[in-house]
Amino acid sequence: MTWLFHGRWRERTSLLALGALEGREADGARAHVGGCPECADDLARLGRAVELAALDPLRAAEPPIGVPALLTRVSARLDAAAAPSPRRPVAVWLLPAGALAAGVAALLLYQPSPRPPVASPAVVSEPPVAVADDMLGRMERSVTRKQTARYLDEAQDLLLTVAASRPCARQSQRVDVGQEARRSRDLLARRALLVGTSGDDVASVRPVLRDVEYVLREVASLPSCARERDLQAIQREVSRRNLLMKIDLMTRELKG
Amino acid sequence: MARLARGDREALGPLMERHHRRLYRLALSYLRNADEALDAVQEVFVKAYQHAARWDGGSEVGPWLTRIAVNHSIDRYRRGRRRLAAETPLDEETGDRDVRLTTSDPSPERRVLGREVGERIASVLRSLPERQRAVFVLRHYDEMPLEDIARTLDMSLGTVKSSLHRAVHHMRERLEGLR
Repeated sequence: MTWLFHGRWRERTSLLALGALEGREADGARAHVGGCPECADDLARLGRAVELAALDPLRAAEPPIGVPALLTRVSARLDAAAAPSPRRPVAVWLLPAGALAAGVAALLLYQPSPRPPVASPAVVSEPPVAVADDMLGRMERSVTRKQTARYLDEAQDLLLTVAASRPCARQSQRVDVGQEARRSRDLLARRALLVGTSGDDVASVRPVLRDVEYVLREVASLPSCARERDLQAIQREVSRRNLLMKIDLMTRELKG
Repeated sequence: MARLARGDREALGPLMERHHRRLYRLALSYLRNADEALDAVQEVFVKAYQHAARWDGGSEVGPWLTRIAVNHSIDRYRRGRRRLAAETPLDEETGDRDVRLTTSDPSPERRVLGREVGERIASVLRSLPERQRAVFVLRHYDEMPLEDIARTLDMSLGTVKSSLHRAVHHMRERLEGLR
């Protein structure tokens, strides 16, 4: 049997091991493997690899949030996209960056040169553009960090406020968290925008953002007059995750 | 989808109920990071809503969403790689922690083995070209038939087969010795 001939069957053996062949194609591959010890060995080894690959825990992973929370995030993104000028913050930054780039260009153009002015326009104009792009990137990252820090600040404030909620007027063993639940929903909507727009820039803060989001969802789901024990469960969760301390550390890191 | 095309956001709920788990696993398998995967799923539904009018009413929604998810994951992965090349390494532990939080394997040995397998698969996937990586993910994690993979990725059936063959052999080499 030539190597070329085997090559044709090797591909089918791989697909057979993956369970990706059907009908006559699968029958043909099995028949060939039955008469080819080398292919049978290949199939057995591939089969073991496929079995092992099936143990990858990602195959059974569940989304960390449910449909209502996902819907909130998507709605927030759609609202932001529908807003009249969603990229206004970038445009605001663009102005000084553009002015700076123009300044750099002017400096480069008027720099005294011992040689006659024969440099091509491309050589002169390239550096300012690179400076502007780089600067814009840094500015956008800086804005993201500030927004994230503000979000965490407000989340921390909310968690402290909710811990000191007043009892409901007409119901015993219940606390008034209506305002905090509304604030949590607002914060969750803002969190969706943070991740959706520049999530890459806050990668190191993500574990804390995730914990905060989890707790905010819990608060957002409380009725206006919540049971004390539900609130206590949330406080225990905040304490178990050392969330207030983590928010402190992260906010400080983000603010530099 | 007709409701979505009319701008009815409420219609997103049932669509999410049906597809968000599958799309999440798909994005997670490709991106290997829970936060990135969640962002990707979010963007899939944003795009589905924004482009609902473009959906061909005769075809099924699932493959259309899958296509959006795969293309978005490829883009995101590409951007991530560029960023990683320029900045600091991605926090691999974040991804691991997410997986621990979201799966429930009762046996510690299997769990340890599963994590080792996951890390090795991630390393193989990193070494594969983008489209090959997508082919393997769609087959292994989504169990998609080869013809559907070809349609989703706009590839010939032959290319899908040869990509899978190469991917599974890489996988075998990296997984041998485990267990």
